[in-house]
Amino acid sequence: MNDIIIGGNPALTPVEPGKAEKEGSGTQTPFGTVLKKTIKDINDLQIKADQAIAKVEVDNSASIHEAMIALEKADISFKAMMQVRNKIIEAYQEIMRMQV
Amino acid sequence: MDFFVPFRICGSGLTAQRAKMDVITANLANVDTTRTPEGGPYMRKVVSFSSKPVGRVFDMKLRKALNMVSVGDVEESKEGVRRVADPGHPDADASGFVSLPNVNVVSEMAGMIMASRAYEACVTAFDATKSMALKTLEIGR
Repeated sequence: MNDIIIGGNPALTPVEPGKAEKEGSGTQTPFGTVLKKTIKDINDLQIKADQAIAKVEVDNSASIHEAMIALEKADISFKAMMQVRNKIIEAYQEIMRMQV
Repeated sequence: MDFFVPFRICGSGLTAQRAKMDVITANLANVDTTRTPEGGPYMRKVVSFSSKPVGRVFDMKLRKALNMVSVGDVEESKEGVRRVADPGHPDADASGFVSLPNVNVVSEMAGMIMASRAYEACVTAFDATKSMALKTLEIGR
């Protein structure tokens, strides 16, 4: 999927800025990189939510509302990711249905 | 994500109201305490809050305007202690008066209601923000 290019948004620049300069414009990022980074961010939020629950249940060192907020963050970002996934699958199936 | 900024603000509000509730509970629990490590009766504690900037938000105008709350200091109230005539009390002085904490149960109860209502309001704001976020995901469905 590397040939789909997202451009313009400076917030979506890749992890290694040197690599983007080699590719030319510097503001364009392969879609795959963006997707990978987003999935990693969402995974981090899930891990944070797990840790927050562990802190409440095991260590008794965090308050429950912080754990709940971490859970909700993980929930919403996961749902957002699912919507992106649905769109990708939809586009893929649309291409697969193409008559040749 | 943008929607996490209101969550952070809500979280700070919940923490602040929890702290206030803890202080009120301590005041109510010590309503009759006549001995403290510092000597003398328990003095009513008052919590004060301070605001701090949220930091990274999606709009420059909001960045300047939005503030989170943080628990400032917990200080002793400056009201005088209650003096009650009770010669039989072990902590009564030579003239038969006991110094009791300056905790007013009624005003503590009022503070408690305010803290719990403010906590509920924060939770409601959180839920409303969450349903906005989830509604956004329904765009184009």
